[in-house]
Amino acid sequence: MSNASAVQAPERLGLLRVLGPGHVWALGVGIVLVGEYMGWNFSVGKGGMIAGLVACWVAGLLYTCVAMIDSEVTSTVAAAGGQYAQAKHIVGPLMAFNVGLFLVMAYTMLEAANAITIGFLLDTVAGMLGHTGLNQQPFIIMTILALAYLNYRGVLASLSFNLVITAFAFVAIIVLFLAVQFGASAVPLDFSAVTNEPLPYGWLGIIAALHFGLWYYLGIEGTCQAAEEVRSPARSLPFGTMAGIMTLVIAATLTWYVCSGLIPWEYLGSAGTPLFDAARVTGNSSLMVLLFIGTVFATTASANGCINDASRAWFSMGRDRYLPSWFGAVHPRYRTPYRSIVFLIPIALIFALGAPLDQVVTFSILSGLLGYTFMTFNMVMFRKKWPLDTIKRGYVHPWHPLPAVVLLVLCAATYFAVFLGYGTQLIAMLCFYIIASLWFHFWRYRFVKRGDQFTMPWPRPQGY
Amino acid sequence: MDIWNYLEIAAWVISAIIAGIMLLDMIKVDTTYDNELLTSSREGELELTQERHEL
Amino acid sequence: MAYQPPKQSLAGQVVDVIVLLVLTVGALYLPLYMGLAGAAKTPAPIENPTWEALGQNAAEQQQWAALGFPDAASANDIITARFDYTFSWTALIVMVVAVVGYFILVVRLSDKEYREVIDERFGKSGKG
Repeated sequence: MSNASAVQAPERLGLLRVLGPGHVWALGVGIVLVGEYMGWNFSVGKGGMIAGLVACWVAGLLYTCVAMIDSEVTSTVAAAGGQYAQAKHIVGPLMAFNVGLFLVMAYTMLEAANAITIGFLLDTVAGMLGHTGLNQQPFIIMTILALAYLNYRGVLASLSFNLVITAFAFVAIIVLFLAVQFGASAVPLDFSAVTNEPLPYGWLGIIAALHFGLWYYLGIEGTCQAAEEVRSPARSLPFGTMAGIMTLVIAATLTWYVCSGLIPWEYLGSAGTPLFDAARVTGNSSLMVLLFIGTVFATTASANGCINDASRAWFSMGRDRYLPSWFGAVHPRYRTPYRSIVFLIPIALIFALGAPLDQVVTFSILSGLLGYTFMTFNMVMFRKKWPLDTIKRGYVHPWHPLPAVVLLVLCAATYFAVFLGYGTQLIAMLCFYIIASLWFHFWRYRFVKRGDQFTMPWPRPQGY
Repeated sequence: MDIWNYLEIAAWVISAIIAGIMLLDMIKVDTTYDNELLTSSREGELELTQERHEL
Repeated sequence: MAYQPPKQSLAGQVVDVIVLLVLTVGALYLPLYMGLAGAAKTPAPIENPTWEALGQNAAEQQQWAALGFPDAASANDIITARFDYTFSWTALIVMVVAVVGYFILVVRLSDKEYREVIDERFGKSGKG
């Protein structure tokens, strides 16, 4: 079998295998770090300052489970499309179609949210410099188009770019923390609200805050989208993902500390760019410039990674004919899924230009959440269909099935959190996925070759 | 008109140029190459070719 | 005999993409247009607001000033806005049923399709 395909291989186009572990880290953290620059603070709005911190750590635990589970499966199913390819091999085609949609939606919405933030930030800065009524549209459009073009031109350049700007944005958070610690702020840190108004919504607020607590880390699982472009996926992907989670837990805690200390929680709970606002409160103009650049870089890195991930997922679905096969094309020179990249631009624009930020964020979080729920039973089925002694895994996570169970419990709590306040969005999303599923099962699946979907060199699953 | 208005116009122009370049390139590629070749990527196959190169 | 899928025409491909697009845009915008998207915080501004009445201490007052809220009246709405977390148990049950039902539906239909895939890839079950 390997001979036959080896002979054909030169006539075929594939994605380029050029990335190292640093790029994986940059892809994972790059997408997520923006969560520290905007969005996470809505959790403070939903539950108060304490709830924001609890949500930060509980979500950190949730994502540690995600990373452990994901690392084991990804180090074994290394294919573009990440969880989509996992679902296809472990649960089945319809699940894979849904997971593919989760990924595309989560990342495209996140990309839209990033573009909205850049527009909003420029508007804030223009306002501070005395220009009112800035038209944000051209900046939003330019951001999305420029990053799409970067992705169009090649994965190595995109992710090397991401590595640099992500590192900068991360350092900016640490510098802000240190500067504030050593008295660069004209306004003192104040945590009196922690004692005066610890839980404005009571214990319910802590659960409600989980909704946006996910935003601190959402997208870290995107690292495995790059599987077909990483030089040694079985090692680089688990390593890059785990390093990413650690980076993020640190960044998230520092962010909570600085922002809660410098910004009244009532304002923080609905702020558009919390870290930049914290820098504004310090009254230190170099910090302001630093955090302005940090915010721009973080949002750019995130949007860039999102374009990368969403297009890989869309491309993989096209390649398997889950979507029109037209999307499964690879650019002959740049070796990127160029049609998917171009097609997703207008979709991102529709949402970036037309919907409010918290709705877009919720749409993204919900898609992510459905994806995490899938991971729990995916893991259990993976171990059941291929027990440890049947195939070689690049990484085996400890304490199975504890992480899966913890993840499921946390997912359930988060559904409830989303339900508090965004229940209609949740139902609307589910209706979307149910209709899409029926459409796939009863119509679209007829165009899919059955046996070809299973591409891993594994033995027959047990029980089938 | 201040600097921000010019920046707005510049952003529109840059957007249009990038969109133009990307669309032109896509049309060029789609008309130059055979669709069968463009969509010839298969999941899992890269793994095999990669293995072959390393042996 | 392996299943041979029909070849899809270009028009068919375009229609399929449009269907997905309409679904996606509908899912986000329908709740928005119908005014059902929740999460509106309702401000409950107090009369004759002072920083003290709003519970803001000296440090917090400085912070508000730095953020562009010079007096208590300007921050009144933001400070007093609260979410309403009262919910109906019926709605909660509807949600639970929807989420669980959705996953059961998808996993069951997937399993049906998955068996076909495995049979075609590894031969009919029984033969191994």
